[in-house]
Amino acid sequence: MACTVMFSLAGHAQQCSLRDVKIDARLGYNLGGTSPVGLPASIRELKSYELTPSFLFGLDAEMSKCGRFGVLLGMRFENKGMNVDARVKNYHMKISKGQQQMEGQFTGDVKTKVTEWMLTVPLQATWHPAEAWRLRFGPYVSYVFSRDFSGYAHDGYLRVGSPTGAKVDIGNGPGQRGDYDFSSDMRRLQWGLSLGADWKFYDRLGTFVELNWGLSGIHHSHFKTIEQTLYPLYGTIGLNYTLR
Amino acid sequence: MIWALVLCVLISSCVKDEPLNAECDIETVSFHLSQPDDVFYSATDTLQSVSSTVSEIIINVRRKADITALAPVFKLTEGAVVSPASGSVHDFSQGPVTYTVTSQDGAYRRVYQLAVKPVAQMVNDTVMFDFEHTILSDIGNGVPYHEWQEQHVDGTLSTDWGTGNGGFALTAWDKTTADFPSVSIDNGMDGKAVQLTTRSTGALGTIMKMPIAAGNLFYGFFDLQKAAMDPLHATQFGKPFDRKPIHFTGYYQYKPGDKVTDRTGSVLDNQTDSASVYAVFYRNHDAQGKAFVLDGTNVKTSKQIVAMADLGYVPPTDSWTAFDVEFNYTADLDLDLLSNRGYSLALVFSSSKKGDGFIGAVGSRLLIDKVRIICEKEDVKK
Repeated sequence: MACTVMFSLAGHAQQCSLRDVKIDARLGYNLGGTSPVGLPASIRELKSYELTPSFLFGLDAEMSKCGRFGVLLGMRFENKGMNVDARVKNYHMKISKGQQQMEGQFTGDVKTKVTEWMLTVPLQATWHPAEAWRLRFGPYVSYVFSRDFSGYAHDGYLRVGSPTGAKVDIGNGPGQRGDYDFSSDMRRLQWGLSLGADWKFYDRLGTFVELNWGLSGIHHSHFKTIEQTLYPLYGTIGLNYTLR
Repeated sequence: MIWALVLCVLISSCVKDEPLNAECDIETVSFHLSQPDDVFYSATDTLQSVSSTVSEIIINVRRKADITALAPVFKLTEGAVVSPASGSVHDFSQGPVTYTVTSQDGAYRRVYQLAVKPVAQMVNDTVMFDFEHTILSDIGNGVPYHEWQEQHVDGTLSTDWGTGNGGFALTAWDKTTADFPSVSIDNGMDGKAVQLTTRSTGALGTIMKMPIAAGNLFYGFFDLQKAAMDPLHATQFGKPFDRKPIHFTGYYQYKPGDKVTDRTGSVLDNQTDSASVYAVFYRNHDAQGKAFVLDGTNVKTSKQIVAMADLGYVPPTDSWTAFDVEFNYTADLDLDLLSNRGYSLALVFSSSKKGDGFIGAVGSRLLIDKVRIICEKEDVKK
């Protein structure tokens, strides 16, 4: 389906000239998480999910509109953040710091705080099924300039090395819990696919929804502390205003 | 709630079925007897918890107890199975019985030895601790450290001394045995000796707000489970002792490290580290009859204490120097209780006096050898 749209767009592009360029400003809110695709059985429960200031500010330019098709290039300034507390059971963890490391199976709660302020450039094919409607699909690339991935394991216990290793209780207060900070192991460049829909409901004002599916993990590929690769999977809701 | 639902939809797959337990511990051992007093010195001994680091369980019983048909009952990790079965009858006079525990998921197993040992009364007036018997242990990460054992009258050895080495091992995956805070050295005053050194715990230890680990050795047990969350309760000071101690003697060397630091790692100016060397004698059951063990919160302050022998200031010296401290009694001894193992003795050595609060100087080093507890003579006792 996606390919068909892209191919037909390519076909049309050769026949069309730059008839008009439409520019939209966007204000949105990102909601979602940094998560493995398919939760492992060792993650038992999401105990809390707190909202973070995950705002999106953007400008889009849609070009070569010929018939119902077009191409859109955008620039967004956004944060994909989350603040979750999850209960895990027999979850493999490995914490490294310089030459030191600590490895084992953790059962208890893990608090994670993610902040990723980034500049995102989406390139999308567009399709207008009706006057007020626009559907968009295409890849995006992001440069993350502010990275934070930190938190702590708390209220549980660690089995050192394996489930038969020594059992060590982990508490809640500072010094009793296992703090971690994997911010510097995060990738600067991310990419993924975006699917969106815009609906103009009044004059130049419209609303939009979007699904941004990250296809690159948020950490470097050599980072093995967290067994599963974590992908940024975020939905966006917001308002757009047609400037031109 | 709605957000969690949205998130769940986004990640396309919700929580899977709970995996089966992978652990396979004996958590407690208990004995159901019609006359527990015939077998045990104290009724509270009929239920004993087993630390996760222990695989050789030793149950001490009265010298003349009949141990030919005992049926220990185990509390296991949920879903785990034990063979031979919990509650099965065995003759422990033939030596330890081997039990194998298999986890609920079938993937892990632990092998335990359970020994029931009749304890004879101590016979010598002087109890000697020469630190010649050590074993290598590890917490599951393959980094070995020393533990000290004592030889008993029947010739068997048991780990009667605790150290904080297990706690240090948590962040010591890059270390060797000699790098630990508590190490056995070969060139002691006479044979092997104990070397206690205050060590840095590195970046990981700093994260845990435990930037140093003082070298320590104590007659008692180190409960690793509490080491990270509640370190003061991890040091379980003392073992039952059935003679009246009157003098605490031995030999030491001490050299304080350069810079005393606190729990945040800040240097405390104008302070010199000092060691601690002391012995405490106390009642091991409280007024309600509950088993009692001294720990880091009350080792010098508990009302259970009947006598102390504290060397106090430990002058630095680089040659073997004798010490002799008399036990100062603050309560009368109940001799009947004494012979029924109702008192415990704690001996404590540390390279940094305030090491339990993570204050000390990295490099402070205390050597200990030939420790003696001189007891009141038997005829005087009667």
